[in-house]
Amino acid sequence: MTDTMIELEKLTKRYPGTEIPAVEDLTMGIPRGEIVVFVGPSGCGKTTSLKMINRIIEPTSGHIILDGEDVTKSDPDKLRRRIGYVIQQIGLFPHRRIGDNVATVPNLLGWDRDRTNERVNELLEIVGLDPEMYRDRYPKELSGGQRQRVGVARALAADPPVLLMDEPFGAIDPITRTRLQNEFLRLQQELQKTIVFVTHDIDEAIKMGDRIAILQERSIPAQFATPEEILTQPANQFVEDFVGSGATLKRLKLTRIRDIEIITDCLTGSVDEDARTLRDRLAASEWTGMLLLDEQKRPLRWLRAPDLDQGRSLREAGLPAKAFVEPHATLSDALEEMLLGSAGVSIVVDKHGVYQGIVDVDTIIITIQEMRDASAEFYRTAKLVDPAEVAG
Amino acid sequence: MEIASFLEFLQSDATQRTLLAETREHLIMIALPILGALVVGIALGIAAHRFRFLRGSILNMVSWFLTIPSLAFFALLIPIVGIGNTAPMTALFFYALLPIVRNTVAGLTSVDQAVVESAKGMGMGRVKRLLQIELPNAWPVILAGARVATLLLIGIAAIAAVVGGDGLGQSIYRGINRIPAGGSLEAILSGTLMIVVLAVLIDLIYLGIGRLTIPRGLRD
Ligand SMILES: Nc1ncnc2c1ncn2[C@@H]1O[C@H](COP(=O)(O)OP(=O)(O)OP(=O)(O)O)[C@@H](O)[C@H]1O
Ligand SMILES: [Mg+2]
Repeated sequence: MTDTMIELEKLTKRYPGTEIPAVEDLTMGIPRGEIVVFVGPSGCGKTTSLKMINRIIEPTSGHIILDGEDVTKSDPDKLRRRIGYVIQQIGLFPHRRIGDNVATVPNLLGWDRDRTNERVNELLEIVGLDPEMYRDRYPKELSGGQRQRVGVARALAADPPVLLMDEPFGAIDPITRTRLQNEFLRLQQELQKTIVFVTHDIDEAIKMGDRIAILQERSIPAQFATPEEILTQPANQFVEDFVGSGATLKRLKLTRIRDIEIITDCLTGSVDEDARTLRDRLAASEWTGMLLLDEQKRPLRWLRAPDLDQGRSLREAGLPAKAFVEPHATLSDALEEMLLGSAGVSIVVDKHGVYQGIVDVDTIIITIQEMRDASAEFYRTAKLVDPAEVAG
Repeated sequence: MEIASFLEFLQSDATQRTLLAETREHLIMIALPILGALVVGIALGIAAHRFRFLRGSILNMVSWFLTIPSLAFFALLIPIVGIGNTAPMTALFFYALLPIVRNTVAGLTSVDQAVVESAKGMGMGRVKRLLQIELPNAWPVILAGARVATLLLIGIAAIAAVVGGDGLGQSIYRGINRIPAGGSLEAILSGTLMIVVLAVLIDLIYLGIGRLTIPRGLRD
């Protein structure tokens, strides 16, 4: 077992009758269990590069090493059964039921019927489709999003270690796309597949990729690095232009609340206490307001000193507590909630709604500053090391 | 000719017996050529689809057959296969090829490329891909070609009677030979009517075949 699952060695594709190769000398190691995203402008050769990996497109020269084995010349059909394949147009077989579509590779591999059926049901459930309801339908009886899920299930059927995905969520409305992306990331946490993912959308690349290869024409990598590095340390002008403005805002989408230090010493009170106690506590603190929690420690209201003087029920005093985020939310989510909320902060709660702490604008600014410094530091040290050592 | 006299003619036992027998012969005369043309035509269609350089020649060749006047075609075959049903049946086979070959090519070409590519991407070999993916998806179009071919043959087969063949053409031919004697028009008309009835029947049969053989996922 090596750490590199797929090794591309000087892969070149020259289409018949063309002068300039579509892909030229692409050399890259795809680490085991990671999502590597190929992203770049239209026509730069992403699809060609991807399709050379399962040899839908035969390379003109170069080598493909899969899990230590040179598969450049091996039986392409056998190779493809080890590699899941998802394309933008999905390509479900319209004349076959959903269950039979998913069972394609198991059938090719000669699994017995019980094992195949069991696997089909399991997979449909994994991608969030009730087998009872969908197994016997035909592709045209499904929505676009559901079809794409079936496409993913079909690619996963024989549990291939590698998945190739060419703009898998490209032709889907933005809301469904976000949902499918999130579901897929959750799935990948369990599956730990080695995935090559093609997109032309830098935001999708940043969201999905453990590593991103930004490709220029002829598939020449402008930078091959983690999303963080690409955002903070673009290797050249091409990357900078491609990532575009708002790189910092994009970074906020990468960092989750659980990874930063949130404010936990915010002044709180409980509905069990009386108003006078709360007022005294507020007066003694340097805070201008406090967060009222219910019996289960769930945030209820924001209270200021005057709110506590009115003799109203605590549950109705002050302003309602809004802008809740959970620890797995991103800083971008937190910022958005903050802007919409009443108190200029986001309240962090766990999945039961129990109060954990708060995030304010300062927290976010400090975090951005730290991320900048850390990656600048990383970059400086990385440069001092022999590149071969880093790659190895 | 009066309508009444025609109806009377149709109701006579002798007429009905003749028409029924001729209808049976007619069906038999086209059945074999159609079956043969299906097998050969689909094979030619697959070849034309797969090998680009063959496509033009194959399609041209099967078109030429259809431009040969049927009577001449039948007559030209007599020295080779002899008198009787063989000559017309051989010609009918060639006539049936064009719609079947053309629709096979069209059907295979119309199969969504993404479907074929995903089959390929999952490790389905060339033959499996053709048999399990491409042909089933092209089938509705191929079947439509077979239907057109069959209807075409029903009409052309009537001319077989001129060169001594069986079928509904005999009623028509007999009538033509007797003009202007009484009953000649009735004979011509009854043969023609049965051919139309046969065509409608064949259409219904194809509808049934479509229901049975086209998967629900491909129907609209
Ligand atoms: N079959 C082909 N024959 C000739 N040239 C081709 C063929 N397929 C692709 N090309 C060319 O190769 C180059 C790379 O194409 P490719 O499809 O890999 O780009 P891509 O990065 O996937 O683009 P997009 O984002 O638009 O999908 C393009 O210039 C394209 O015109
Ligand atoms: Mg592409």
